Amino acid sequence: MFLEQLINGITLGSIYAIVALGYTLVFGVLDIINMAHGEIFMFGAFVGMLLVSKAGAPLPVAFLGAIVVTAAMGLLLERFALRPLRSRPGASHLASLISTIGVSILLENVAHKIFGSGNHLFETPFAEISFTIGPVTVYLVQVVILLISLLLMVGLALWLSRTRAGKALRATAENLETAGLLGVDTNRMITATVVIASAMGGVAGVLVGMAFNYINNQIGLSMGLKGLAIIIFGGMGSVYGAMAGGLILGLSETFVVAYGSSGYRDAIAFVAIIVILLIRPQGLFGQAPAEARR
Amino acid sequence: MEWLNPYHLQVASFVLINAILGVSIYVTLSTGQLSLGNAGFMSVGAYTAALLSTQHQVPIPAGILAGSLLAGAAGILVGIPSLRLSGVYLAIATLGFGEVLRAVLINWESLTGGAVGVAAIPQMGRVILAWARDRGFSPESLGLQSNQFISLTVFLILLLCTILTVAFFLRLSRSRVGRAYTAIRLDESAAAAAGIPITYYKVLAFSQGAMLSGFAGALFAHSTSFVSPGDFTYHRAVEILVFAVFGGSGHIFGPVFGAAFLTVLPEALRPISDYRYILYGILLVLMMVFRPQGVIDPALLRRFRRSGVETSA
Repeated sequence: MFLEQLINGITLGSIYAIVALGYTLVFGVLDIINMAHGEIFMFGAFVGMLLVSKAGAPLPVAFLGAIVVTAAMGLLLERFALRPLRSRPGASHLASLISTIGVSILLENVAHKIFGSGNHLFETPFAEISFTIGPVTVYLVQVVILLISLLLMVGLALWLSRTRAGKALRATAENLETAGLLGVDTNRMITATVVIASAMGGVAGVLVGMAFNYINNQIGLSMGLKGLAIIIFGGMGSVYGAMAGGLILGLSETFVVAYGSSGYRDAIAFVAIIVILLIRPQGLFGQAPAEARR
Repeated sequence: MEWLNPYHLQVASFVLINAILGVSIYVTLSTGQLSLGNAGFMSVGAYTAALLSTQHQVPIPAGILAGSLLAGAAGILVGIPSLRLSGVYLAIATLGFGEVLRAVLINWESLTGGAVGVAAIPQMGRVILAWARDRGFSPESLGLQSNQFISLTVFLILLLCTILTVAFFLRLSRSRVGRAYTAIRLDESAAAAAGIPITYYKVLAFSQGAMLSGFAGALFAHSTSFVSPGDFTYHRAVEILVFAVFGGSGHIFGPVFGAAFLTVLPEALRPISDYRYILYGILLVLMMVFRPQGVIDPALLRRFRRSGVETSA
């Protein structure tokens, strides 16, 4: 029982971590919270659902489709809702928050128009396959979700720390102007960041569909809020904070539901951030508390 | 009096409640603190007023007062620890406060009625009509039907509340307190160096905003006669913020205008109702691209005033 819950928690947590990574990448580079990330994630889930359940395509095609669509959405988001604000001097930091909220309202209602408000079944071909190790039953779906999330997280960490492009991105995140002076094409790096973050959202969408077997047009909001809570908890802009925060949240939600009350499940994330903000305002992995006082 | 139909009056009433909510976030923003907890404070006011009047037969004005004060007290409780936070952190922490509060409202069924909410809250207009009828008054003598009279009464009460609220905070902005708020928003360290008690004024602004949200919530409960946790979600919190930022957070008329415009717009777009929130989203983006300071800013108001002086001269 305990071990099964542990596996459930880690599976859920790894999906949370992928969602949170999307927020943290954009925040790290642009210092803004992309409120539309939850909705982009939701579109990934819907594209995956259409390909798998309606068109009967295999899972890798679903991932590819979701990545293409959400990456394109990220590109449009950056081009039309973020870049025009950047070139305006003196625009308040609230402006980009509101403009991404505008995009999220737009996308939420487009999804409602296309898909309605009901639940859509997400049929994973191997949903029923499970194997028993000792007293523990593990579903193949869980293993696949875990592998894909790990691959994504390790890939991202390696890309950021080892490649030239990753270095340019970190430089841009450190200081936009200086990076520009040193020859980094910052506009391109920013676009790349938003596109990569959105594509990760798309992958997370398909993973959620696989994990829960159904999706609706509310998952963007509920997952989005949890993602926000996680990046605060883990430390804004911290990649490892987002991973650890996601896992901690997934585990604590699973155990509270298993051994406590399910009613407060969605409040756990926020209780956690209120507590952490009071004890350690910069978050679990955050640095430079002076920076937090903006 | 065909135009005076309850639907128009109801939209107008929501405009006024939203205007008070807009002012509530403006007050906190005027010290540079961004709070997304106003939907939560609103629920404190709304549930307090609703439960007092349905379960304890407390008169409506006393219930509204109690709701506002309790929300204000909650504002102090949340405001003091929040002093350590700023910017995005404060926004998300206060949003978290609202979400936790909503989870409590849903789960504490014995008190709050759970997800169903509280129904049959005495409606201001109906109570006043019943009171007037007892004294031999009939709305027909004014050429109004009962439901017209009820909606009109609610509208007038809300109008009075809104005018008083705006007048109070307009006056406040020109007082010692208002100048302290502005100083803190412009530069906290400089304000502290000039001897302004930062902590006091920040908590004051925070609890004023909370109290005002609670006030709006209590008025909301007694106008719609029904409240549920669904009225105080993330969407409400964001909506309140958008009123202030869209209308302009540099002057108190900004959030009032924002609330009026953004409440009427979706109603006016009802003929194309399938697309209205899509258009609403696009409008927000365009607004931030072309006029990020909001529709109304002090410069615009100055220009209005100047042209007013010129024409009158």
